[in-house]
Amino acid sequence: MFITALPTIAQMVGTNRILRGVAITSPTGDPSLAAGDEHDLRVAIVERALEMLGTEVEPTTIWELA
Amino acid sequence: MTIVHYVNQFFAGLGGEEAAGHEPIRLDGPQGPGRALAAAGAAPDVTLACGDDHFGEHEPEALPTLLAWLEEVRPDVLICGPAFGSGRYGYACGVLAREAGRRGIPVVAAMTPDSPGVMAAEGAAYVVPTGSNVAAMRTVVPLMAGLAVRLAAGEPVGSPEDEGYLPRGLRSNVRSDRTGAERAIELLLAKLAGDVRTEVGPTGDRVAPAPPVPDLTGVRLALVTEAGCVPQGNPNQLPTRHANVWLKYPIEDVDSLASGTYESVHAGFDTTVGNADPNRLVPLDAARELERRGAFGSLHDAFYTTSGVDTPVATAAKFGQEIAAELLEARVSAVVLTGT
Repeated sequence: MFITALPTIAQMVGTNRILRGVAITSPTGDPSLAAGDEHDLRVAIVERALEMLGTEVEPTTIWELA
Repeated sequence: MTIVHYVNQFFAGLGGEEAAGHEPIRLDGPQGPGRALAAAGAAPDVTLACGDDHFGEHEPEALPTLLAWLEEVRPDVLICGPAFGSGRYGYACGVLAREAGRRGIPVVAAMTPDSPGVMAAEGAAYVVPTGSNVAAMRTVVPLMAGLAVRLAAGEPVGSPEDEGYLPRGLRSNVRSDRTGAERAIELLLAKLAGDVRTEVGPTGDRVAPAPPVPDLTGVRLALVTEAGCVPQGNPNQLPTRHANVWLKYPIEDVDSLASGTYESVHAGFDTTVGNADPNRLVPLDAARELERRGAFGSLHDAFYTTSGVDTPVATAAKFGQEIAAELLEARVSAVVLTGT
């Protein structure tokens, strides 16, 4: 599965499991958050990624974090 | 002009299914549909034929035999089929077309658009789409002959839309008398009217979604990135753009991609935020935490990286295949890939 802040481009090239990342410059982080909160966010992102890996999907499916 | 024509056992007059195991054979002059090609102005000098089953089952022997004959004759153009909806015949046409094309011989083939031969040809041939049965012969032969004669003469061939062949996944420069702005507005207006067109078709191939990993608790998970993450100082000199390599770095004893120990050398985005905490690019710290919690089996002992900037699709596909092969070997069954 692929985490990216440019999900429509991933879709265009045929990626099947796409999770929308936070930003182009930090797909798995948010520098505007306090360090602890950002870490929690990142854990939530990877948890969501794992959930997507365990889920049957249609071609080029995009998931949001929540 | 020298033309070679490839057909299967049936169209070469060798027999039907009972002759599908026929070995490659070289015949003089036009056979079967080759006569229609001749009538349309593209008379084959030599006909090569092979049984469909034989080609499918003995490709490593049959293909070199056919290619050796092609090398001998050195035709100005090779014509394959039409194979219509026959999957085995289409496949043989597509493989031969690809290999001949790579050897500098122009190729025209014909088959249904969903034939496995279209993919096998990998854009190396001009493939004219046909209906699924021989009834399409009358319309497709003149198209094939016309293309073949022009290719043999070294004349330019127009776009797939204008010429009626399937897109080959190539782009060519053309001079237009209208500006990009004019053409873009025209496309937009057409789209608003429900007619979706493009000047640049998608070239990515479509792969069916991998089946879900049913139980993550036993799974070995790998982290892969195109964000250009490397150990600080870029010890293996990963190119910052136009990367021609991917690299892997051990993370067996690493819990987090700490700033100052890892960095991104990717030239396609501002790396300030990523370099302040490279876990924002490759979420190692979070993956470790989830590994400890038992959310999945274990993390693979290395992460894979390249910088995806100005990377041709073909290069990216090659990297993907190489990395996937290595991960499969290491019994990794799930991957989290991050992109910037």
